[in-house]
Amino acid sequence: MSKRYIVLTLLLVGSAFGLTQLPEKGPRSPITPQELLIAVNDQSRFLETHFIAKRLIERDPSLFLIDIRMLYEFEEYNIPGSFNIPLEELLLPDWEAYIDQDGMDIVFYSNSDVFADQAWMLSKQKGYNNLYVMKGGLNEWFRTIIQPTPPDETAPTAAFEKYAFERAACIYFGGASAGVASVPIAKKKVTVRKKEKKAAEGGC
Amino acid sequence: MGPLTYFGEISTEWNYVIALFIGMAFGYIMEASGFSSSRKLVGVFYGYDFAVLRVFVTATLVAIIGLLYMGYFGWIDYEVLFVHPTFVFSAAIGGIIMGFGFITGGFCPGTSLCAAAIGKIDGIVFTIALFVGIMVYSWIYPILEPWYNTGNLGHIKITEWLGVSEGWFVFGFAIIAVVLFYITNLIRKKIKPVHY
Repeated sequence: MSKRYIVLTLLLVGSAFGLTQLPEKGPRSPITPQELLIAVNDQSRFLETHFIAKRLIERDPSLFLIDIRMLYEFEEYNIPGSFNIPLEELLLPDWEAYIDQDGMDIVFYSNSDVFADQAWMLSKQKGYNNLYVMKGGLNEWFRTIIQPTPPDETAPTAAFEKYAFERAACIYFGGASAGVASVPIAKKKVTVRKKEKKAAEGGC
Repeated sequence: MGPLTYFGEISTEWNYVIALFIGMAFGYIMEASGFSSSRKLVGVFYGYDFAVLRVFVTATLVAIIGLLYMGYFGWIDYEVLFVHPTFVFSAAIGGIIMGFGFITGGFCPGTSLCAAAIGKIDGIVFTIALFVGIMVYSWIYPILEPWYNTGNLGHIKITEWLGVSEGWFVFGFAIIAVVLFYITNLIRKKIKPVHY
């Protein structure tokens, strides 16, 4: 057998043996940096408060709201049906089953959308799907749903329709009572009948 | 099959151009190794030439070792490689038919094209017959379909099935290959050499 064959054989077997000696690699990120970059630039992860309110009113079972503020903030106010996972605890294994749910739309919200977006980023890097951020956070929620401002009189019809929805959502989420915006009630005229004079009765 | 990169660094058209060059290199090397000769190809069955066996086993080993190393160093994404679903029974039946075809015809599909390209008449005849076979198979496919789809194990790798690490499996395969080369060399020496 020629020397060349022996060298090649040793090379082949040696490199195959080398494969068995490779140290274990750490858990690989399920998403590549390029994929993450594309996802970050994609604005479709931001959901409007109206859209979320509508789905909440319709009791959409595939919507899962996660409040990533601190517990005391959550206890002070939260969107009905939301779940509290403070941002610091987001990567704890206890919460994994809540965030990693295929078939559920996970929506993060905080006071604004900065921290919520950070939560989105962290979860996205773990390779979870269907993650969203509530655009504008709770501030936007208050501005549009809890305390909606009426549009200008010259605004287009769509703005009024939107406002009508906001009013209705406001009532649903307990921001106001139904009577406030209704038409002022005209005062009822109370007609008082004059008493007919009666002839004096009796007498002496 | 798939694009070389999946973020569009190389456009679809260039993917085809690169594929063409890889194909040409493949054909050239096959021809240069003498694989366009049916005598060399069937030599493995008669025991006078084991070049086919050596080349294919070596190619498999080089490919898998290269893939695993490159995957480890992050040069390629090993995880996105497409694994064909395994149909055990149809693979076995197909293998037997292919083996018979290989012995009687003296070519496998790739080498027949290679032989046809350099103008060998047996290669051309084999290639034409190949397409006729494909056509006939397509006609009778509805009858064969239940056979075709039996024993589906899904997208499974042999290392997953055996539960061994990929490194050790490849190492074992390399040892087996070397032993195989040694034994086939002994057989070749015992058989009366055929000159062609």
